[in-house]
Amino acid sequence: MHDIGVRETINFLGLTFNIETLKMTWLAMGIVILVACLATRNLKVVPQGWQNFVEMIILWLHDQIDAMMGPRGRMLAPFIVGLFMFLLASNLIGLVPLMASPTNDLNTTLGLALLVVIIVHCLGLYFKGGHYIAHFFQPTPVFVVINMIEEIAKPITLAFRLFGNILAGEILIIVLLKLMPIWMPIPSVAWLAFSIFISCVQAVIFTMLSMAYLANAVKDDHAE
Amino acid sequence: MIEINATILAQILNFLILVIILRAVAYKPVARLLQQRTDKIRGELDKAAADRKAAEQTLADYKSQLADAHKKAQEIVEKANVTARQEHDAAVAETRREIERMKLSAQAEIESERNRAFDEMKSQIVSLSLAAANKVVSKNVDTKENDKLVTEFIAGLNKNMFADLK
Repeated sequence: MHDIGVRETINFLGLTFNIETLKMTWLAMGIVILVACLATRNLKVVPQGWQNFVEMIILWLHDQIDAMMGPRGRMLAPFIVGLFMFLLASNLIGLVPLMASPTNDLNTTLGLALLVVIIVHCLGLYFKGGHYIAHFFQPTPVFVVINMIEEIAKPITLAFRLFGNILAGEILIIVLLKLMPIWMPIPSVAWLAFSIFISCVQAVIFTMLSMAYLANAVKDDHAE
Repeated sequence: MIEINATILAQILNFLILVIILRAVAYKPVARLLQQRTDKIRGELDKAAADRKAAEQTLADYKSQLADAHKKAQEIVEKANVTARQEHDAAVAETRREIERMKLSAQAEIESERNRAFDEMKSQIVSLSLAAANKVVSKNVDTKENDKLVTEFIAGLNKNMFADLK
């Protein structure tokens, strides 16, 4: 991403794709799958080494899901694990020179956010049926406007928060490199460190918010 | 910079593929393993509880058996004591009877012995008296008269002189 704001595109079957984003996405996917395979290779009933770490993460996630979503949430666990790992890998990839985060493209973040929201509504309708639609009209039918705005705002805020953070981070890395003389690396290094932190935080935020939205749809709120 | 095109569809698809692969490759085995371990631990805890219960049952059995054995041993000892006392009593009684019998027979023997001695003495006294009389009486008296005199003398002796022997 040396020319900020210009994206290489290709046309395929009459559709336009950002080829760099796709390549980086596949790279991130590859890294995630590789890490997952390495971590879960050679599983034993008595845990050892890395297996402890992987189990710790999954147990923590199960606890979170049980606390937020109740028993139905377990089926979403792979989705949430995947979301977190993919976002973390994607965010961190962009900090490597000559590479870009898939999440610096609004297409990626908005795609994920829309996917989350679609899943939320589908599960809500599936588990609660008419109740789910009715709760948009509560406490009075007038509230449907506010509820609609809220529902539309969800994916947009989710997508733009991540997109903005990651893109800003990458742009500032390039800007700092061009702005500072080569013998003064401190601002770049400091910003890089901060970007690593931001990458992790944004991955966590996106995942936690997704979980919160999914929890609304999946949890039995009146113990039906 | 923020134009939206078909990449959004590709990204959704990419992510779904990633989730499916991750689920198959990583999540399922770990979750299954965790479940397996939970089952194993629960099974072993259950088994341990059952084992402990069985052990307690066995211990209680042994204790009751031991108590029974103690009671039986006590009974046997008591019975033996009773039997021994009875035998002892019987032996003592038998011995007393024996002693009584021996005393009686000894008395009888003494009696018969004395009678015999008395008879013997009587006959000796007869012959002694005869001899004495022979010497004392110078007169020749016939033997028949003599015997009669002596017998009369002895009959008189019998009553007067040996009264204290009886």
